[in-house]
Amino acid sequence: MNTLATAAQITVGVNLLFLGSLIWVWVRNYLALRSKHTLGMLVFASLLFIENGFALYYYLLDPDLSVWFSTQVPDIAWYAMLSFHVLEAVALAFLAWVTLD
Amino acid sequence: MEAALWYVLSGTRGGPNRARVLRAVDERPRNPNQLAEALDLNYDTVRHHLDVLADNDIVHASGDDYGAVYLPTDRARNNWDVVEEIIEGLEQP
Repeated sequence: MNTLATAAQITVGVNLLFLGSLIWVWVRNYLALRSKHTLGMLVFASLLFIENGFALYYYLLDPDLSVWFSTQVPDIAWYAMLSFHVLEAVALAFLAWVTLD
Repeated sequence: MEAALWYVLSGTRGGPNRARVLRAVDERPRNPNQLAEALDLNYDTVRHHLDVLADNDIVHASGDDYGAVYLPTDRARNNWDVVEEIIEGLEQP
């Protein structure tokens, strides 16, 4: 089991949780306010949610790519990809912090 | 100012209630107790919303004792078109 692959999967899962909570807030606000600002944020979060959903799908479920990711990808490539996922998680954590207020 | 204003009112979890608070103090200045009663919210919830709105320079207290009333700041009034756009989607109280 590749530790870096597992770390990437967990980080993508965390991103999905942050995005899920943002989407939950913005759906409720959109229903209450019908504001274009809220709709814009909702669309933005939904697209990022789909992006992370695809990442997790390719890492874990896709019959060809999940095998490739878990066995063939060298550590140096995992470090690069993991850094994107971690930076996104930090960004989403700050956005969730100001939003869940 | 405009970005902070619309994010606080339409982007945050407490945004719709903050918009109701702002609409209520625009109708007439009120203290937290009167707001809690008028909006059917918990007193502590109203205090929290007022603190967030005050931190972002959207409302300010007139007088600083227990019964101080709150009203929109000049900055909020100068951007009132943004506020209107957000509160027009709210149900009437």
